[in-house]
Amino acid sequence: MFIKHETIEKNAFLLLVFTLLTIAVGGIVEVIPLFTIETTVEHVKGVRPYSPLESRGRDIYVREGCYVCHSQQVRALRDEVERYGHYSIAAESMFDHPFQWGSKRIGPDLARVGGKYSSDWHYAHLMNAQSVVPESLMPHYAFLAQTPLDTGDLVRRIKAQRMVGVPYTDDQVANAAADLKAQADPAADNAALLRRYPKAVTVPGDGRSVTELDALVAYLQVLGTMVNFADPANEKPRQ
Amino acid sequence: MDIQVSDVIVGLLMSVLGLIGLFMAAGATDDAIYVFGLSLAGFAVVFVLGLIRRHFDRQSGTMPKGTDYV
Amino acid sequence: MSDAAIQYNEDVVKKFVIAAIFWAVVAFLVGVVLAGQLAWPVANLGLPFTNFGRLRPVHTSAAIFAFGGSALFATSFYIVQRTCRARLFGGEALANFIFWGYQFFIVMAALSYVMGFSQGQEYAEPEWHLDLFLTLIWVLYGVVFIGTVLMRKEPHIYVANWFFIAMILTIAVLHLGNNSAMPVSLFTAKSYNVASGVQNAMIQWWYGHNAVGFFLTAGFLGMMYYFIPKASGRPIYSYRISIVHFWSLVFMYIWAGPHHLHYTALPDWTQTLGMAFSIMLWMPSWGGMINGIMTLSGAWDKLRTDAGLRFSVTAVGFYGMSTFEGPVMSIRGVNALSHYTDWGIGHVHSGALGWVAFISFGALYYLVPVLWKRERLYSQKLAAWHFWIATLGIVLYITSMWVAGIMQGLMWRAYDQFGFLQYSFSESVMAVHPYYVIRFTGGVFFLLGSLIMVYNMIQTVRSPTTARPAAEPQTGLPIGTAMAGA
Repeated sequence: MFIKHETIEKNAFLLLVFTLLTIAVGGIVEVIPLFTIETTVEHVKGVRPYSPLESRGRDIYVREGCYVCHSQQVRALRDEVERYGHYSIAAESMFDHPFQWGSKRIGPDLARVGGKYSSDWHYAHLMNAQSVVPESLMPHYAFLAQTPLDTGDLVRRIKAQRMVGVPYTDDQVANAAADLKAQADPAADNAALLRRYPKAVTVPGDGRSVTELDALVAYLQVLGTMVNFADPANEKPRQ
Repeated sequence: MDIQVSDVIVGLLMSVLGLIGLFMAAGATDDAIYVFGLSLAGFAVVFVLGLIRRHFDRQSGTMPKGTDYV
Repeated sequence: MSDAAIQYNEDVVKKFVIAAIFWAVVAFLVGVVLAGQLAWPVANLGLPFTNFGRLRPVHTSAAIFAFGGSALFATSFYIVQRTCRARLFGGEALANFIFWGYQFFIVMAALSYVMGFSQGQEYAEPEWHLDLFLTLIWVLYGVVFIGTVLMRKEPHIYVANWFFIAMILTIAVLHLGNNSAMPVSLFTAKSYNVASGVQNAMIQWWYGHNAVGFFLTAGFLGMMYYFIPKASGRPIYSYRISIVHFWSLVFMYIWAGPHHLHYTALPDWTQTLGMAFSIMLWMPSWGGMINGIMTLSGAWDKLRTDAGLRFSVTAVGFYGMSTFEGPVMSIRGVNALSHYTDWGIGHVHSGALGWVAFISFGALYYLVPVLWKRERLYSQKLAAWHFWIATLGIVLYITSMWVAGIMQGLMWRAYDQFGFLQYSFSESVMAVHPYYVIRFTGGVFFLLGSLIMVYNMIQTVRSPTTARPAAEPQTGLPIGTAMAGA
């Protein structure tokens, strides 16, 4: 059966339907299988939801548009692996709503920045990047240090993430405020925090109030550290 | 006399939007929603006033300069 | 039925024309500020709302949605009425609501970015409440546009309208798909996207690349298919090409997204599909270019006298160039070098400045005298100045970004004789500084050109020298329409 193009041109309804069908194919073929093929996201040990402080830090990372200058995706290329560390795997961003892989490196990739520098370095760098890296083009984020972190809707934020699939447990939701405080206070007992969020890095803070800067540093310090690529069980991530 | 259907429908839509705006501003927990809600309500009021003005301008034949159709 | 009997709604077209010109200047100005910040970081000022990260979405949204969007609304509303010989469906109030509602959305979105509210996905930064509002506007736009097509008094739907219809449909699907998010509460702007990680990445670039493909390409091709035949007085070169390239473009563009994700954690099969379709996409793109440029056969002399037409034709040239560059950059091996570098920024701007802005300028130079019922443009000479200054600006912009981008790519992968990485990241930052200054200069040129246009347009509307001697009947369809379906 052959439809003359003239028929479509004279019938707005046909034009609409055919256009819709034509644009639907590519999206369906490329997007749907990523949800259904099980090997799309590797099964590795270590990837966990962000701790409350890290999660709030991530919110600030998104808010300030860090992704417009920093990628969070080490590509599987020799030079990138040597510069930044193990190439990124899908599992590492499985709890990232939204993903922050980025598309431009005005600054370096941050996928594995966690643990690379001390928290003190991060504070100094975020306050005034040129004081640590003179060539840097980065804006100053000193205002984050003067802004107390708003934790009023912390639980609601965690719950919203749980609704889109981040597996926060009831225990984690119930202790969100306590965990946030513990991670921003070096003097606090953080055993419970580390049980719920292994590898969470306690940030120095000023000991009195939690600032947005504390949250952002906590987030940066966990980036890329969750999966232990030296663990033989994770040696060959199944894809 | 001749009330345009389009005016009525858009007018109703605007009143709904304006009310939504007021509700959002009233319950807002952050600046973005507060500003958006208030602005939406203001936008709706001004737009409906514009609809009314244009209706009477059409009636009296005194459309503003540059309006080149009925 | 004679045209004179139809009262077209030109009021809304005029409003969108003014908005397009206004937002063009804003978008270019913010772009220049950002380019300045990258050349001289002290220009960030360290204030929350002046930092690069928050201003960048203001620039991209102003360019794509405010300037590009207003130009699309203006031209699509103008074209659909003329080519269908029908008044805009839905009445004056609905058209007015679409205009003011869209402007309201733009202002609210820009305001929310500087206030620190962002979904964190490129070109989809507005939070959920603004997304919903935009959905309403877009659906009503579809109702008005398709309603007008249904009311047409022409048997055929003109080719420009196919492209506009494809744009309206696809943008609606993309917008809803990519912005599905869970708000923290109904009274909180912050939301978390429903998808995460690799799926979110795929959906984002399915959206992002087709915002380019359908908003910035299909819609502007619609513009090309009306204003080039109209301004040159020649029919469209090939009716057959327009059919073939329409359907193939619409089919293939959707697949191209994954080329933004080469060598990432996205599965290889998806990357390969994206690359394959991106390369194939070269052909339908050039089909459109050939159709646009060859339409000038026999009317090339008009380029000397009509600066507006010169903009349109140069735009099609830039379109051809960037739709060749794009497929090249989508090849994995090339992408390994080009991705994350300024080459991408240069590529985007050869499309945005060369194609989108120039084809819009061409349409605006045509539309302003027609809409305000003036005899002619105030000054062809000023338009020519605009053309050359803007072209020089683009050349400075894209060449500096090519050099900067390729240099970054090569420096990042360079090894010394001992097998270590030769350069630190900050060395690559220092190395591109001169090119960032050149890029800034190019941006300033482009901005200056647009200011010349603003003056020229104001004078066209105001100056007594452009007044029309007597009222003339409105012009009808472009010549190509008569031949459609022949």
